[in-house]
Amino acid sequence: MPMLMTPLFLLGFLGLALPWWLHRLETQTTEREKFATTRFLEASKKRIHIQRKLKYLLLMALRMAFLALLAFAFARPVLFDIDSFTASEDTTHHVLVLDTSFSMHEGDKLATAQQIATTILNKMGSDDIASVYSASTGVNTLAEPSADTAELLALIGSVEADKGRLDLGTMVSNLNGLIEESPGNIVLHVISDFQQTSQALRFADMIPDVINDRPVTLDIQQVVTGNRANDTIETVVVENRNSVIASVRSFNVAADSTEARQVELSINGVAQQQLPLSVTASGVQLVEFRDVAFAEGDNKVDIRLTPNDGFPDDDLRHTVFDNAPPAPVLLLTEDTASLGVTYITAALETAPRGYVVEPVNIADFDARVMQRYPWLIVEDLGSATSGLEAALRDYINGGGSVLAAAGPRTTALDTLPVLGNPIGTAQLGPNGRPLTLQITRIDTSHPVLSESSGWSSVNVRTVPVAASPEDRVLIAQNADSPVLIEQSIGAGRLLLFTSSFDNSASDLPVKPVFVTFMAEAARYLSNEQLLVKQQITDSYLQLAQSGGASGQVVDPDGETLLSLQDTTRNQDVLLNKTGYYQVFTPAGEVLVAVNPDIRESDLTLMPAQTLQNWQNAVSGTCVGTACRAPAETGEAEPSTTTGAETSEEIAVWKFFLILLALLVLAESLLGNRYLNLKTGTVS
Amino acid sequence: MATTAAKRPPLTLLDPKVLASLSNLELVAKAVVEGFVIGLHRSPKFGFSQEFVEYRAYGEGDDPRYIDWNVYARTDKTYIKRFLGETNSHLMIMLDASASMGFSSTGVSKLQFGKYLGASLAYMSSRQHDAVGAMVFAEEVLDYRPPMSRSGSLQGVIHTLDKAQPEQGTQMNKPMTRFREHIKRRGLVAVISDFYCDVQELMDNVRPLAVQGQDVILFHLLDPDELNPHIKESTLYEDMETGHSIEVSPLFMNQEYRARIEAHIAAIREASSGMNADHVLINTGEPLDKALHSYLTFREKRG
Repeated sequence: MPMLMTPLFLLGFLGLALPWWLHRLETQTTEREKFATTRFLEASKKRIHIQRKLKYLLLMALRMAFLALLAFAFARPVLFDIDSFTASEDTTHHVLVLDTSFSMHEGDKLATAQQIATTILNKMGSDDIASVYSASTGVNTLAEPSADTAELLALIGSVEADKGRLDLGTMVSNLNGLIEESPGNIVLHVISDFQQTSQALRFADMIPDVINDRPVTLDIQQVVTGNRANDTIETVVVENRNSVIASVRSFNVAADSTEARQVELSINGVAQQQLPLSVTASGVQLVEFRDVAFAEGDNKVDIRLTPNDGFPDDDLRHTVFDNAPPAPVLLLTEDTASLGVTYITAALETAPRGYVVEPVNIADFDARVMQRYPWLIVEDLGSATSGLEAALRDYINGGGSVLAAAGPRTTALDTLPVLGNPIGTAQLGPNGRPLTLQITRIDTSHPVLSESSGWSSVNVRTVPVAASPEDRVLIAQNADSPVLIEQSIGAGRLLLFTSSFDNSASDLPVKPVFVTFMAEAARYLSNEQLLVKQQITDSYLQLAQSGGASGQVVDPDGETLLSLQDTTRNQDVLLNKTGYYQVFTPAGEVLVAVNPDIRESDLTLMPAQTLQNWQNAVSGTCVGTACRAPAETGEAEPSTTTGAETSEEIAVWKFFLILLALLVLAESLLGNRYLNLKTGTVS
Repeated sequence: MATTAAKRPPLTLLDPKVLASLSNLELVAKAVVEGFVIGLHRSPKFGFSQEFVEYRAYGEGDDPRYIDWNVYARTDKTYIKRFLGETNSHLMIMLDASASMGFSSTGVSKLQFGKYLGASLAYMSSRQHDAVGAMVFAEEVLDYRPPMSRSGSLQGVIHTLDKAQPEQGTQMNKPMTRFREHIKRRGLVAVISDFYCDVQELMDNVRPLAVQGQDVILFHLLDPDELNPHIKESTLYEDMETGHSIEVSPLFMNQEYRARIEAHIAAIREASSGMNADHVLINTGEPLDKALHSYLTFREKRG
């Protein structure tokens, strides 16, 4: 109703007088007839006069209805659900937020939280309403604003903790959007253990917005009173493929206490070793398991603390160790002992994935061997014979990938082998020698370059290869001087570095970026998925489409997460369970270990003063008398309106628009009929 | 319904609306004249007869069928029998076919009414063995048929009238000049028009005919809506001859226009009387009786 009283709406409603006025006007230009002669006629002045009697009543009614509907449609009217209830500004809206983060698994925190929520609901006034939210990594709405206490109580009893992490700043930010339409005075009940790690980086992020110029009262309900001791596995590292080092972090350990615990190692579900651990103080202790045997490929490495402490859920940590053998890489070169071979081999062998470079003299190379390798390296593309050039083209066409460099042999050619790009004349410096320039442009959207940095310090003297329209220039010195070119040929691709891989024409091999570049190029050309194998809960696993498929994911409970159709598209899969996710990609099977955020294991509480400051800050968000919460002061704000519906609203303006369209049609037909009646007759 | 029918004048064969249902103009003429003659029998003043009166010498344009061959055999001279009511004259019907003649508010346009009138006059004269001719004009002569009393000349005249279509404006100069050039013999000239032309121009062209000895009768045809227009709202009128549009208020049309058209009619009447021509104003919404009565009166006066 208040919407109908807005000045703009009333102004629009005044427009109804327009058809009434127009229908009283009569102009002299309405009829046109033929006449025998106009020699005795005299033109009259165009006059408009007001008739006492209205004309074309039906047409006028249609036009007035049209304007009325238009004004109503702009007022955005809504219909309300019959079962709705009304809430006035005196109504208190209890917003119950239950912390369901991972730390709430500890002890009886969740049960205490549920009990507190139940108490709040039972004390709720007869005119009050309440809504319930769970807060973890995000905020979920469990119950919309309702006065049905029984229903809300039943809902509170079914709340469960998850594996996410609570950040109070994120929580308040999410709540602002959820409760901004609330009609009553909001009392925000936050029921949590209030870990110190849940405090937002910026204190201001924890202050809720002022809702409708009415007070937001913060009610902090802490489910625990003191800091509790807790041990957890912080990190797990595999070294030299035969030892596992676990980092055990202890929180809030009493000064005089000594706790004896065991650290167990399991590989692929099979217990391997067990080592004792004495916890005497807060901090980190390293436990190393030696002579550990891993299976080939991805291994599930589980470290568990026994016996369980008060928070047993964080006593187990999952890790994936990739024990795949180094992949062989074929390197075609004119000299297997050249400096370029040394640099390439060193870079690839130190890459995380691990590669074994197999240098082969290009003169002795049997092209049939190529098919055994998913990708290969050509140290100088110009050294390829015509036979090898054809073999390379067939290899790439069939799906193989090549990383090639343009060495001294290429410089002497007019046309680039395999690609066919013309080779121009090198730019010469003042001293008559070819110019060595820095990199100026990098396409960081390309997978090979997205992770690497430091290219700007690389100096390169390139072979002047002209890029064709089919080429994608990934790195360039300037518009006419590409450094790294990619061209797709058939089902495969070729990456061309327009300089050599030794340090005679560029300083790339001696820069740190060379190792990263070679590792990423190897991963890209071998078509391996770029998957992070260690994740925390509520993060997303990104599956990129490759060859018409992205992959399938099986969660720790053995459930398939993606439909068949989803497996053909890029996917972001939410990892909300702890354990091992099996990811099946076109490149093979990959394991991803998911653990809770380590900060949830720190059961240190926010200082009482911080909580008090927070409460004070929230109270200060309102100005003047509006800050007084009726729930606290017992005062009732004067009600300015009879009530505001908070129920489900049904927008009816769309129906108004349909009616408007019908009215326009009827008005046109009726108006046209009147025009026909006025047409003169001439024989 | 009975009341309405009682108030409505009875339809006669002379009603233009009834005549409009007849497709053949000759049939229309015959129906008009026969119907008109039946009405005349009540009056002793007018009459048609085939009773022999005298002989006269054969002249150019006379129908050879009426030559008395017996007299010729005896005297070697050609004489023609004259009957009672026969006037030994010729009639020239000049029909205005300008665009303004196409105006109608009754269902029968002025041109159509003029065709009925012209055809009826021709039929009537034909029965009196007068030579009948026709000229259809607008800004210039559109069709012309010289006066003849031979067999079949009536059909020719009626055909000439029948094929007239409203077009062009009204110019009296060219048709009258043409008439004077071709017709030297005295006779009757019936001009059927709405006379939407300058009165002085009209009289300048008619006067030579009177001087020439022609007996001129002006049938001034006007539609009921031209005589007494009734409009309730401002109307944009488009001139049927010039295409010029003009916006007219009801007030002007009901008062000023009527005065102007009446002044125009009076001016034509006055001018025509000044040169011994008859002027007959005819409302095309009325039967043809008035026009035919006027014609007979006119003939009687002219002997």
